[in-house]
Amino acid sequence: MIIDIENLEKSFKEVKAVDNISFKVKEGELFSFLGVNGAGKSTTINIISGILNKDNGKISVCGYDTDSHIHKIKRNIGIVFQNSVLDKKLTVLDNLKYRAALYGITGSAFKSALDETVEMFDLKEILKRPLHKLSGGQKRRIDIARALIHKPRLLILDEPTTGLDPKTRINMWNIVEKLRKENGLTVFLTTHYMEEASESDYVVIIDSGKIVAEGSPHNLKNKFASDFIKFYNHREAAQKYFSTQGYRFKNERDFTEIELSGTEEVSKFFKEKPELFDDFEVLKGNMDNVFLKVTGKDLHGG
Amino acid sequence: MKECKKLVSLVKRNTKCYFKDKVMFFMSLITPLILLVLFVTFLKNIYTGSFTQIATEFGVAIEPRVLEGITGAWLMSSILSVSSVTVAFCSNVIMVEDKMNANINDFSVSPIKNTTLSVSYFISNFFVTFIVIMCVMLIGHIYIAAVGWYLSVGDVFLIIVDCVCGILFGTLLAGIIESFIKTQGGISAVSTLVSSMYGFICGAYMPLSQFSEGLRNVLGFLPGTYGVGIMRNHYMNAYVDEIIKTVDPSKADAMAKAIKDGFDANLYFCGNQVSLGAMYGILLGACAVLFAVYVLLVFLKDKKILAIKSKKC
Ligand SMILES: Nc1ncnc2c1ncn2[C@@H]1O[C@H](COP(=O)(O)OP(=O)(O)OP(=O)(O)O)[C@@H](O)[C@H]1O
Ligand SMILES: [Mg+2]
Repeated sequence: MIIDIENLEKSFKEVKAVDNISFKVKEGELFSFLGVNGAGKSTTINIISGILNKDNGKISVCGYDTDSHIHKIKRNIGIVFQNSVLDKKLTVLDNLKYRAALYGITGSAFKSALDETVEMFDLKEILKRPLHKLSGGQKRRIDIARALIHKPRLLILDEPTTGLDPKTRINMWNIVEKLRKENGLTVFLTTHYMEEASESDYVVIIDSGKIVAEGSPHNLKNKFASDFIKFYNHREAAQKYFSTQGYRFKNERDFTEIELSGTEEVSKFFKEKPELFDDFEVLKGNMDNVFLKVTGKDLHGG
Repeated sequence: MKECKKLVSLVKRNTKCYFKDKVMFFMSLITPLILLVLFVTFLKNIYTGSFTQIATEFGVAIEPRVLEGITGAWLMSSILSVSSVTVAFCSNVIMVEDKMNANINDFSVSPIKNTTLSVSYFISNFFVTFIVIMCVMLIGHIYIAAVGWYLSVGDVFLIIVDCVCGILFGTLLAGIIESFIKTQGGISAVSTLVSSMYGFICGAYMPLSQFSEGLRNVLGFLPGTYGVGIMRNHYMNAYVDEIIKTVDPSKADAMAKAIKDGFDANLYFCGNQVSLGAMYGILLGACAVLFAVYVLLVFLKDKKILAIKSKKC
C-alpha cells in the first residue's frame, strides 16, 4: 500500500472538510478521488503531503507515518497543485533548477534530469521564457514537469487537466501512462472529467467529506449506473408506457429518454413492446452517471 | 551540508524573483531618493543655519564648501540609517508573496527544513536591501562630492560597515514583524507605518538634541537611535576636524563637542555620554536578540505543528 488512510478527519472552524474517511491506494495504481466542488479533495491532498495538519486519523504514505517521517515521504511524492505554485516571473529553466535543488539535484544530476524532462514534455522552445508569458496549457505542463523532476514514486494530481485543450490533455496522459508502465509510478488523481476517472484502477467518490462510493469503475458502473433508451419515434407511446410502470423519463427536442436499471431490463422491454422500438438508441451508464447518482445530483429527474 | 546547498539555491531564487520585478526595485530605491531631494530642498537651510550659529558662538565662520558638505553628510547619515530599516521592510515582499499565492506550499512539500526557508528569506532580503542602500549611498555621495567632499576612504568604509549593521537590524526586524503578514495590503501598511515613523523615533529627521529631556531618554532605549548615532560620527568627523582647524586650539575641543552634541554624533543616555563602542555594542546586541526571536519564531511554528499532530496519538 503506497497510501493508507484511516479515519481521517479535518475541520475548518464550522466546516467539516474531511469527515472520517479511510481508503488505501495500491502501488502502481491509477487512483481517482472524485467529488463535487468543496467535497474535501484538496484538503485531503494537503494533509497527505504535510501542508495541513489533520485533526484525527492515521496516514501512512510510502510505508512511512506522516506524523513521524514526513521528511522521508516528501522525497517520494510529487504534487501538481490545483493552482500553480511556481514562480511566474522566473523562466521555466530557473523554476525547474531551483525546485530540483530542493531535492539535492544540482550540477550534472540536474542536467541529466533536465534533458529528460525537456524531451518528455517538449519544453525546448519555452525553456528560457518566463512563466507568466506562457499559455495556461504550457504552464500546466511545467507544473507536471516540476512534480516529476525528482522521480517520485507517487504523483498526486489535483485537477491537472482543468482548462487544457483535448490534445494537451491526451499528451499529458500519455506521459503519465508511460511513467506508470516503465517506472511503476502510482498516480493519485482528482478530476472533474469522468472519462479520465473511468480509466483508473480504483475510484473513491466523496461528498461533503464522506466517502459515498468506492470500487473499480466497472463495479461502480454495475452497481450505480443506469442504462438509457432514447426513443426518436413513438415518443408519446413510450413515455406513457414507461411512466405507468414507474420509470423516469426526460423529454428532449429530438428524443424521449427512459432510465432503466440495467441491460436485462432493456432486453425485457424489447421483447415485450417491440412495436415501440423502431428508431431508438441504448446508452450504457458511464462514470458521469455513477457520479451523479452517488453524489445525489441526479440530472435525470422526470 | 546538503541543507546548505538548498539554502544557497533558495537565496538565489528569492533574489532573482525580487530583481525580476523592476517596479519593486525601483519603489524601494525611490523612497530614500525622494527623501534626499526633500531634505535638500526644504530642510537644508535650517541645518546650515544651525551649523553657522554654533560657529558664530565660537567666533568663526565655516567655509561654504565645508558647510554645504557637512550638512549633506549629516542628511545622508539620516537617510542611510533610516533607509536601512525602511527598505528592509518593503523589500521583504517575496516572503509575503509566497504566502499570498501559496507558493510556500511547494516548499512545504519539498524536503527542506522550515528553518532553511526562513533563513533564506532573511539572507536574500539582507542582500537586496544592501544593494538598494548602496545605490542610495552612491547617489548621495555624488551629491556630497558636488557640494563639498572631505570624507576619506576609511570614512566611507566605516559608513558601509554601519550600513551593514543597520541593514542587519532592519532585515531581522522586518523578518519578525512581517512573518505574521499574509497579504499585499498588510505589507504595504506595515512598510508605510515604519517608513513614516521610524525616522522620527530614532531622531533621524530632527536631531534628538532638540527633543525634550524625557523623550530623549525614552528614545535612548531604542537601539535604532544608536544606529543613527554611529553613522553620524562617521559622516561628520572629517568635517568637524576641518571646521575646528579654523578656531583657536584651546577652544577646538569645546567646539567639536558643541557640533557633535547638537547634531547627535554624541548621544547621552540619562546624562552619560554613550561611547562609539557602546553604540555598536547596543546595535549588535539588539541584532543578536532579534536573531534569537527570529529563530524562536521558526521553532515555535514547527512546534505548533507537532503539538497539533501529537494531539491524536
Ligand atoms: N483554508 C481553509 N479555511 C477554511 N475552509 C476551508 C479551507 N480550505 C478548504 N476549506 C473548506 O473545506 C471544504 C473542502 O474544500 P476543498 O478545497 O478540499 O474542496 P475540493 O474538493 O478540493 O473542491 P474543488 O473541486 O472545488 O477543488 C470546502 O467547504 C472549503 O470551503
Ligand atoms: Mg480542490
